[in-house]
Amino acid sequence: MSGSGEFTFDAVAVPFVPGDHLLTALLRAGLHPTGGGTLCVEGHSPHCVAEVDGVAYVHTCQTLAREGMLVRAQAIGDAPMLPSTDPLAQPVAVRNAHHDVVVIGGGEAGRGAAASIGAPIVDAGDGGEVVGIFPGPMVAVRADAGMVHTHVERVVVATGVLPLLPVCPGNDLAGLYTPKLAERLQAAGVDLGRTVTITEPPQRFEGADRVQAVVVGDERFECDAVIVDIGTTPNDILARMGAGLAVDAVGGASEITAPPPCPTEGTVCPCNETTMAELAECWDRGFTSMELLKRASLAGTGVCQGAVCSPYLQSFIADRTGSLEARFTARPVARQATLSELAAGRHHPAIARTTLHAVHEAAGATMDRFGGWWRPWVYSDVDAECAAVRSAVSIGDVGTLGKFIVSGPDAEAALQRLVPTDVSTIGPGRSRYVLMLDERGYVLDDGMIMREGEGERFFVTVTSGGASVAEMWVRDWTADLDVRWMNVTMSVGAINVTGPRASELLARVGFDQPLAMLRHVEADIADVPCRVVRLSFTGEVSFELHHPCARSAELWRSLLDAGADLGVVPHGLDALSRLRLEKGHIIVGQDSDYDSTPRRLGHDWMVDLDSGDFIGRHAIERTGRLPLDKQLVGLEGDGPPPFEGAVVWSMDGTYAGYVTSAAWSVTLGRSVMLAWVRTVDGMLPDEVRVEGMVARRAELPFYDPEGVRARG
Amino acid sequence: MNEHPEAEITLRWNEPEASYDVVIVGGGGHGLSTAYHLATRHDITRVLVLDAGYIGGGNSGRNTTVIRANYGIPEAVRFYQHSLERYRRLEEETGRSMMHDRKGLLWMAHSEAGVRRERARAAVNQAFGAETVYLEPDEIATTCPEIDLACGGGFPAVMGASFHQGATARHDRVVWALAEGAMRCGVHVAPHTAVTGLIHEHGRIVGVETPAGRVAAGTVVSAVGGNATLLADMAGVRLPIKTHPLQAFVTNRYQRRFDPIVASGDLGFYVSQTARGQMLLGAEIDRQPSYSRGSTYELLASLSHRAITVLPFMRNLRVLRQWTGSCDMSPDYSPIMGDTGVDGFLVTTGWGTWGFKAIPAGGECMAEHIATGVAPELMAPFSLDRFERDRTLADRGSSGTH
Repeated sequence: MSGSGEFTFDAVAVPFVPGDHLLTALLRAGLHPTGGGTLCVEGHSPHCVAEVDGVAYVHTCQTLAREGMLVRAQAIGDAPMLPSTDPLAQPVAVRNAHHDVVVIGGGEAGRGAAASIGAPIVDAGDGGEVVGIFPGPMVAVRADAGMVHTHVERVVVATGVLPLLPVCPGNDLAGLYTPKLAERLQAAGVDLGRTVTITEPPQRFEGADRVQAVVVGDERFECDAVIVDIGTTPNDILARMGAGLAVDAVGGASEITAPPPCPTEGTVCPCNETTMAELAECWDRGFTSMELLKRASLAGTGVCQGAVCSPYLQSFIADRTGSLEARFTARPVARQATLSELAAGRHHPAIARTTLHAVHEAAGATMDRFGGWWRPWVYSDVDAECAAVRSAVSIGDVGTLGKFIVSGPDAEAALQRLVPTDVSTIGPGRSRYVLMLDERGYVLDDGMIMREGEGERFFVTVTSGGASVAEMWVRDWTADLDVRWMNVTMSVGAINVTGPRASELLARVGFDQPLAMLRHVEADIADVPCRVVRLSFTGEVSFELHHPCARSAELWRSLLDAGADLGVVPHGLDALSRLRLEKGHIIVGQDSDYDSTPRRLGHDWMVDLDSGDFIGRHAIERTGRLPLDKQLVGLEGDGPPPFEGAVVWSMDGTYAGYVTSAAWSVTLGRSVMLAWVRTVDGMLPDEVRVEGMVARRAELPFYDPEGVRARG
Repeated sequence: MNEHPEAEITLRWNEPEASYDVVIVGGGGHGLSTAYHLATRHDITRVLVLDAGYIGGGNSGRNTTVIRANYGIPEAVRFYQHSLERYRRLEEETGRSMMHDRKGLLWMAHSEAGVRRERARAAVNQAFGAETVYLEPDEIATTCPEIDLACGGGFPAVMGASFHQGATARHDRVVWALAEGAMRCGVHVAPHTAVTGLIHEHGRIVGVETPAGRVAAGTVVSAVGGNATLLADMAGVRLPIKTHPLQAFVTNRYQRRFDPIVASGDLGFYVSQTARGQMLLGAEIDRQPSYSRGSTYELLASLSHRAITVLPFMRNLRVLRQWTGSCDMSPDYSPIMGDTGVDGFLVTTGWGTWGFKAIPAGGECMAEHIATGVAPELMAPFSLDRFERDRTLADRGSSGTH
């Protein structure tokens, strides 16, 4: 409970006493938050909202007054300004609670239900405003102390009933209160003046700004305040929101009551100031169902979510059709919360860092986000990095690769199902570059399969950033097999040692055994236990060193130290992308599109239709018989490289496709590109135009077509 | 330009009669637009539009009202640009306000890959008539000063963006104006009338079954959203469609000030301020296919978080309402329109997250196809048989957001 003090309402200082809600203090001071309209204590009449400490649309009947609060009037129908400066980021606490059952509503029905099942109660009167009931079920509660996410097996909604607010001329005057509010005000010592209590819907209220008289039937009562006690309606928004979830409504909230008599005049939707006359006009225009009437009249689309108007919409429709139509769909939120409150406890998905991240930053690398990882884009000079790979030796951090250990009696069968190649022919100590296809024969990912020693154990790498999707995919497709997938992406580091002097560098750090292409072996390198994999993405002799990632920095340092006189430098993603482009190697996601079959990618040599069944086989067989409509091809030109994404035009000026990768090849002295190009009459064009430059279709790879350099 | 209770449009409903030239299943934007164009362009008025619920109650009333043409392949750019231009004239044509607002669409990138995507988008857009330019960060700051380019340090900074001459319009008004226009020409619209079966005769579809009885039809068009595959199944047509939920929410109303539509592909979120002054936020589709229209807290929380990362001025805005639509996703992220291989049964589907922007062009094309028997050039590439012929139209400009 708060102490006495003052808050400001617009420019006026308003005193309050302990226990006062803002609304109570305002009314005691002779003020009305929005100027007029019937006020309640349930937080559903929109007539009490105000901007409180920079948050608009706050129900002052729900908010305890505190010293120094800044309250601003918010006239109904006059939307507030958007903040012109950024509000401070206030950390919002979030707490998770777990119960078997929770009861919403601390009234008679709620207390009864709670006592009989021993469940806790959430009640707005205790400052816990229920934002909504969500699948789980999860009850999200907003309180001044923060958000509470209550996870339960079952929810009991005991929110009771709401007082009906009057709909008639003059229902926007000040001085109209529900019985409970009048009680609260009188208990708080607020002088309401001459009050009249009405128990049936009035004809009208009279007055200028404040009510001066109320007419009920043929009688007119002069007064300073009217206590409107004209009936109740089920407070069922949460019960309706919980439809389809484990939610039970009890008490008043669960009852279906006859709607009130249909009013003929006055504002029916206070949030949007829709009048009965406008409702009638919409109806006459053909908006003759609850949902259409709501959308056309806007009644029910405001802050109170139809709590005030929906009983009247029901009676309005029943008057015209003779049948009681259900209230419109209840959607979250039942009680409002700010974006900050809703975002409480959230974080962006982590952008992963390899254990070499700090090493790259210390080396001055520009880091970029790629495939869910931070990766060094360039250290200082991309041309120098490329030159080191082509003429000396260089190291690169490829710890970002997705990595899996696949084991179990059905490991081979599982892989066989996932890739279009004969896995049985990958012998111990050997590896193979593979594609992974979806059911439509489109390329999902690419990677390496390595068989470890004898038996059913494999090490599999996939694209950086592809690991999480790949993991879901492979587990889903092999759930019926006796196979274990262990995702070791985060625990296994990988460094690529590449260049004509790569073998020489490795010999200096303790690895001098011959290792042929696509073979792998376990060995200690600079005292770090590694799997050494001979492959090539850059086109030069390359060794991937897989190792415990805790030792990546040590291994990286040893390689740089041992190769200093060989000219070893690290290369970033930019250099790697250019070098692999010279070799025509694709990057799945950059060069592939949503509908890239192996054939379209020029990779149909990777599909072995003799290897039994695999995902995508049917589609590949079917589409393989059809004429090819587009293909990823190599292009080269003499001008500067176009930007990646540039449009490719036929020589006759029609659209041909777009560039996916482009770079100036220092080695070759021309621009090299990968691009999607459409066929014309089944033929690929020999020449196209890209950003004004004539580009020639070139056989891939551009660089070292015989593959002599990679074999060393 | 604020909303107010409807005082222009008048709708008149009909009980289905026994027979029509064309029966359109689905009284959303596409179904009603097809009916409107059949009546106004081809003088085909013996047309019935059926809906299981109320008109515009599906995705036409659940989308986030963005009109854009910044797609990634020429076929799509031409089609959506035509639609966008039709939208610019649709208020004049129908004589009805749709709160069409040419506010522009800023689509941000937070990575080299994102920059590549937005540059590519601008290039192919310019080549095929859509007005899109690439902006550097300082130009983004000028276009939308509310954006925190640094993203509070909690997410990679904004590195660039494309800016497209996109717009918004009020979705309900679009649906109602097209319905009214069609009704005026004599088209019948029967809401709350579910199609429970299709009538087959000699391999043709010759009508629909409803609880109110059979209705014979020269042509049956499925303009259904969400349940598109279920209806097609009744015709014996298997659609390559997976339906995914997409959620959105709005804040309370504020004075209109926030100008462009702001989207971030990397964050997976977009926001605009409606004619009513509400801030309207959407996200990417749920990964798990489902027909559910339930709302999740996960979305409310994560989308709020993404939004205030880029637009911290929104921190203290309160959320008013959350809802969910159904996105019919095709394998190549492009729509499917026209013949199905079953005589008398046509579809317009695969509208994913891009159905609203295609309402004028989609209905115009479908109507011409029905009237002439020939798919017009704009829609021909989007035929269903492209999957069988392996002539798919992968469109990176579609992606999974609005």
